[in-house]
Amino acid sequence: MAVAEEITEAGAADAPRRGNVWRRRLLTHLAIFLAIVTLWETGVRAGWLDELFFPRPTDILVSFWRIYISQGNVWYHLYISLGLVLAGFVGGSLLGVGLGAIVGFNPLMRRFLQPYVIVLEATPRIAVAPLLIAILGFGAQSKISIIVLVCFFAPFINTLSGVVNVSPEKLELFRSLGVSKLQTLRKLVLPDAVPVIMAGERLAMTAALTGVLVAEFIQRDVGIGSLILTYTRNLNMASAFACIFTLTIIGFAIFKGMEIADKRIAFWNHEEGRERLSARRRRAFEAKGRA
Amino acid sequence: MTETTMDRVTALGLRALPHLVLFAALLALWELAVAIGLIESIMIPRPSRIGAAIWELYVTQRTIYFHFAITMTEAVVGFLIGCGVAVTLAVSSSLSETFKRYVAPYAVVLNVTPGIALTPIIIAWFGYGMGSKIALGAVICFFPIFVNTLTGLLKVDEEREELFHSLGTTPFQLFMKLRVPGALPLLFAGMKIGLTTALIGAVVAEFTQATDGVGVLMSRFSFQLNMASSIASLLSMTVIGLILYYSMELLDDRIVFWRREARMTATSRARARAWRRVMGD
Repeated sequence: MAVAEEITEAGAADAPRRGNVWRRRLLTHLAIFLAIVTLWETGVRAGWLDELFFPRPTDILVSFWRIYISQGNVWYHLYISLGLVLAGFVGGSLLGVGLGAIVGFNPLMRRFLQPYVIVLEATPRIAVAPLLIAILGFGAQSKISIIVLVCFFAPFINTLSGVVNVSPEKLELFRSLGVSKLQTLRKLVLPDAVPVIMAGERLAMTAALTGVLVAEFIQRDVGIGSLILTYTRNLNMASAFACIFTLTIIGFAIFKGMEIADKRIAFWNHEEGRERLSARRRRAFEAKGRA
Repeated sequence: MTETTMDRVTALGLRALPHLVLFAALLALWELAVAIGLIESIMIPRPSRIGAAIWELYVTQRTIYFHFAITMTEAVVGFLIGCGVAVTLAVSSSLSETFKRYVAPYAVVLNVTPGIALTPIIIAWFGYGMGSKIALGAVICFFPIFVNTLTGLLKVDEEREELFHSLGTTPFQLFMKLRVPGALPLLFAGMKIGLTTALIGAVVAEFTQATDGVGVLMSRFSFQLNMASSIASLLSMTVIGLILYYSMELLDDRIVFWRREARMTATSRARARAWRRVMGD
């Protein structure tokens, strides 16, 4: 009890100091960032940097205003691109996890598919894009199939290795206890495989965003990728940069979103998730005890 | 000695045989499906056509070697630049906490931005030639190498560090003998990813705007609906990918020799021999 009090006291005394350090660091970060931006702005204004290639930060801000508010044209392209990303990601990851599980549970299939998997791994998969466009024609279906293709691989490999890399000792223990196959899957294979699969899904999501951009660069019709391409061709670099920073924000949101999904789905792999689960179980146990 | 080698070759052949049979059966099935019109031959050409296209590209016309060399150079040079910057920044970040704190946010921003999105801008900056492909490769292969090197350099076994300190090592020795060997396996893992990524960068930039390279060749063929040659160029990219990947694997095997038992024995034997020679034994 006394120890606990000491700790909380020390923590309380520490808190404002830590807050100060944190605030000072944030200020330094902001100062450096502002210095870079100012240097860039003055560099362009003074003519050291070519404005055609390095647009001024203020111009980029104005472009943000234009593409989001006064013209508002970026929304439509974002809507198209993100819809494709979502569709391709869902399709690709379902296919990847499904096939990965089938191949993982089937040793014969695994042996015969391995050489093809190695070859596929070495091919820059995005390179199939022109081929798919030629086969399926211009339009959404070829774009979605490109995204499905680039999304497919990481979940496939990770599901495969998650399913295959079950500890043999644990498996033996399960067998000797006469556990049914379904229970082995639920209690042994899935708890170990799901975190690995989720890591694959994260890679797939990043790949999906790359895939949609490449598909749009080649087709050049609608979507954020073709918007960037058009702006660059017109040497409207400020707007192109505004689109790229938009993608940074989207990329960040996706990154955070996948992290949250990982914590929710593979909760036993994270400290808070485990604590939440044990707290719930304790509550349930106590409720049963009272009743 | 010769017998064991022969045995090994036979064993390898026996193991490869079912794979080859399956591969041949698949090709035959595919060929048949196109021949009886199950698959449209314009879109998905017969394997024999693809074989003929490979023959044409590599033997009769020999056009591909030039593009092959261009794409491979772009990927390798882009990788070397990206890798150099990544390793330099990672080493500086591991040496200085302050440096790491102020570089990290920019590295994270670069990571969450899909690097491919920079393609048009990089082409505008560096032109239609090889420069833009190299630059894109360098930008997109930077992050995996940076993150792996930094993780490797920061993850140090405390007990080993204590041992080093108790033996009175200098900070430089500590870095070279403890941190660097600890980081090398992760560095190589990052470089393998980075090299593949640099190749993707080179190819995508070629698709978008270029005059030479396997990517250009492939997109030209597929827009002419010459699918057989297009697939042949795609397979050439696979070959480039395999060459790059396995050369990195070889380097990994040589440099991080302590990870594999056989390599480690061979290296220690060689070192013992050299040592004996020096001692004049």
